[in-house]
Parts: sequence; structure tokens; C-alpha cells
Amino acid sequence: MFHLLRNLTIKNFHDGLVKKEFTALEMARAFFAHIKERDPHIGAYLRTLEERALKDAEAVDIKIAKGEEIHLLAGVPLAIKDNILIEGSPATAGSKILENYVSAYDATVISKLKETGAVFLGKTNLDEFAMGSSTENSAFHVTKNPHDPKRVPGGSSGGSASAVAAHLAVAGLGSDTGGSIRQPAAFCGVVGLKPTYGAVSRSGLIAMASSLDQIGPITKTVEDAAILFNAIKGKDPLDATSVNYNWADLTKPDYEKIKNLRVGVPEEYFIEGVEPEVISAVNDAIEKIKSLGVKFKKISLPHTKYALSCYYIIMPAEVSSNLARFDGIRYGRNTKRETQSVKLSDIYFKTRGAGFGTETKRRIILGTFVLSSGYYDAYYKKAQEVRAKISRDFDEAWKEVDVIIAPTTPTRPFLIGEKTADPLSMYLSDVFTIPANLAGLPAISIPAAKDVRLPVGFQLIGPRFGESEILGLGQYYERIA
Amino acid sequence: MATPINKKTLEHLAKLARVLIPEGDEEKLVNDLEKILAHFEELKSLPAGEATLAYGGEAKNEFREDGKSINTNHGRGVEALPETKDEYLKIPPVFE
Repeated sequence: MFHLLRNLTIKNFHDGLVKKEFTALEMARAFFAHIKERDPHIGAYLRTLEERALKDAEAVDIKIAKGEEIHLLAGVPLAIKDNILIEGSPATAGSKILENYVSAYDATVISKLKETGAVFLGKTNLDEFAMGSSTENSAFHVTKNPHDPKRVPGGSSGGSASAVAAHLAVAGLGSDTGGSIRQPAAFCGVVGLKPTYGAVSRSGLIAMASSLDQIGPITKTVEDAAILFNAIKGKDPLDATSVNYNWADLTKPDYEKIKNLRVGVPEEYFIEGVEPEVISAVNDAIEKIKSLGVKFKKISLPHTKYALSCYYIIMPAEVSSNLARFDGIRYGRNTKRETQSVKLSDIYFKTRGAGFGTETKRRIILGTFVLSSGYYDAYYKKAQEVRAKISRDFDEAWKEVDVIIAPTTPTRPFLIGEKTADPLSMYLSDVFTIPANLAGLPAISIPAAKDVRLPVGFQLIGPRFGESEILGLGQYYERIA
Repeated sequence: MATPINKKTLEHLAKLARVLIPEGDEEKLVNDLEKILAHFEELKSLPAGEATLAYGGEAKNEFREDGKSINTNHGRGVEALPETKDEYLKIPPVFE
């Protein structure tokens, strides 16, 4: 059975289902059996949703038995990051402060997937409130990299990425604020897509930094990422930033068009300090794509090096206001109220003090600082100006090229504990993923070399709503790699 | 500009943010913040510019049609509250 799970993509799961090689219920059971055996060594899941998942899988089998048509995602077992709400199930966002919170409604992406008949196996681990690059900041446990259990799976969507990499789900959903889909995808050797800001509704995603957050797929293939993105995209009245856009050929790329794309190679992403193994793997990918006749061009994105500072001002500023809602009252409580006479403000201070972890508190304090009177202009306003400069760098680039290729991360997966003492060194692991978030651009991380012990990912960045181009070029690469 | 974070400012910020920082954590937090803020100094070398976001092109203001509706998830939302009275949140007195 493991051999079968190993080779399952969304596409061939669907084929197997309609050809009656297996039933959705059999496969859901097989996944739960595999999770029970393997996940104690990885820690991808925070909890499974077995009872509900088996019912949903059975419903798909009944549809098939009746001869009804099913969606490409019907019965497909998915892993969902625990900051995305599924009605009636706990959603902790990896934080103690939400330990007792039960989702009051479905996230829009979940409602959309429920309509397709997709099956949710469980909720996956993450850095608390999606703040981190290693999944070590979860209040519950550390997730391990399936390729080497001494190493991190990346983060913050490390649970979903490792679940897909270890065949504990066919595909998954993550969220990406500064690289939280792409960086763990690169570290776990799977595909991760951060869509254009506005392409996917954020309703029901526990907000971290609202001007940057996007939900996206983590999958085994680029084709699967296109299928999952296609199912969750689109305008939603519950998220005013979401947009209707008419993407062409998402799941069936026009390879004649793809061959004619011009691809930019930004010099600022191939610099000293990037591991040589990463550079050579990305260069290999470039050579492979070149052999198809795609034209490459060296470009410059001059403000890249300022993206990290810019991001670590804007994001904590938004974090400090978004997380103000967790007051120990409205979303369940994790500390007992000692007496009737305790002051309301004491509940706030104590619950937030005990419920938030170190990194979360660090970012709330930093955010409060950069927004405070006297420092606002020097930090927050300055960062907004730099954000516009970074965005304009990309606008200039799109005059010359259609897609940009770059490493997803400067290094391969690092050791568990290696960067926990020094937050700045941890932040630096996001250096190549942050610019796409700041500019609101779509970007996908794709495994550069599959046969290596430690995976390396390269990313394709597109202009706003350029998902068709990056997914198309990615699928093109996949066919030859 | 000298890094403006010290133990006193940290206490003030924690008060503004309504977070209790355990005593033993203060020093490390001040050190971490100092290091992070020192990294931000690089931004000062950049000339000032427009802060308008270039990616806002498609975003338009949207207004709901006027109409009578209740769209809060009252029932489930109330279930999450630690203490309730007649479906309302019960909290300690705000003024004493």
C-alpha cells in the first residue's frame, strides 16, 4: 500500500478512483494507517479529523457508484495548515492562546474544497501564528524534515510540506506571508505556490500580516498545484482584497506560448553567502529549461537586499494590531480566572503573557515599537517607501522579461536548534521569498534536483496574476526533469 | 541613531501591547530587538520616496448594498466565550 501512496498525485488519484482501482474510503483509511505509523517520527499533524474524513470519502464513493460525475479533487486526501478554519474543528494556529478555540465557520478555501468533495485528513503544525521559518516555534511540537529528521522542514507551513513529502497526504494547503509556503516546500522537496495577493480569499485564515498573507497549495507536482489553485482562487465577498481574474490555461498550459517566455535571472539572488549546492542546483534547472529554447536574460532588482528589513518592520506592525484580538476572552481561554474580582486588564496581560510564545511576543513588541509615536516615520513610513521601491524594481523587470527565476532559499534545510537562539539569523532564511510578498506577486517553488539527499528549490516569480505563466513554465520543466 | 530600546522602553511597549513579559526574558528580548533594529539601519541610506503601493491597481472600494441583515456568526461565536449570560459575554467589571 505504501508504494501506492508514494506515487499518488491529485491527477492519478482521480484516475485510479474513476477507473475503480480503489475507493476513496480505502485510500482515506490507508492514509490514516500510514499517518499512525509514520507521523510520530515526523510530527506533521497537530490532529487528524478521521471520523469526518471517512464520512466524506464514503460520500464520494456513493457518488461514483451512482454514476455521477466527480470533481478532480473529489476524495483527494488533503492536509490543512492549522491557521485555516474548518467549522467545528479546533484551529490553534500553533499557539497556546488558541488551544481551546473551535472554528465557528469554514474558511472560504475550505468551503470551496468541500464543494469539490476533497477530504481533509487533519490540521498540520506551524510556527505560532505562522511566524517562523522552521516550525520550531509551534507551541505544541517540533516538526522534522522527512528527508533528515535532524533537520527542520522549513516554515511556517512545515507541517503541510512535510505531510506531502512523507506521503501523509496527497496535497495540502499552507499560507505564505514572507515565504511560509515556498521555503518549506523547498526544504521538503515538494512544490509550493504563493498566489498573487488577491487571487485567493483570506477569509477564515487566522490573520498574521494582512497586506502580505495568501493561502496556497503545497503539492507533489506543479500540475497538482495548478489543480488546487484553480479550485480555491477567485473573488469572495468576504475578502474585499480578493479579485476575479480570468486566468488562461491554468491546468492545460499552452506549451507553444510557454516556449516563447523570456526568463529573467536577477543577479541579486546569486550572491556570496548562498550555498554553492543551491546555486548549482538552480543553474542546472536553468540549463534544462534553456534546452527547450526558452530565452534567459540577466536582470537586476537593485532593492532586493533591503527587502528583509522592510518586511521585518511592516509585518510585525501588522502582527501587533492583528493579534490584539486575542485577549483571553473572545477566542476561548487558556488560563483559569482565579476570582470574580480580578480586573479585566489583568486577564488581558496574563492571558497574552502566558498564551503567546517568545517569537510572537518579540514581534508584537517590535510592531508596537515601529508604530509608536516618535519612531513611526523612521521605521514604518520608511519601510512603506522601500516596499514601493521593491515593487517598482519588479515593474521595471517586467518590461524585459515575463518570468523571474531564482533560488527559493539561500541554504538547504538547516539543523533543528541551529537558529533558534538568534532570531535575525532565522529571519535571513526568508531573504529570497520576501520580495514577492512585498510586491504582491505570485511565486512557486519547485524542487531543483530530485535525487539529492537534501532538497533544493528554485522559484519562478511572475507579474501580478501571472499564475498561468509560472505554473505553465513549471509544468514544462516537470515534463523534462 | 542610537538604538532606542532599553529595559524601560520595553516595559512601556509591553504595557501598550498588553503583554506580560516574564522578568527573566527581558534582557534577551532587549538584546534581540537591539540587533534587529541595528539591521534596519541600512534603510536609512535610501532616499525618501513615495509610499504608494504599486500593486493596488485592481483594488477598488466596494460598498455593500443597503439592507437589513444579521451576518455575525452569533451562535458559534458565543460558544467560544469563556463565560456567558443570556448569550452575552460576561466579563469582570471594567470600572471599579
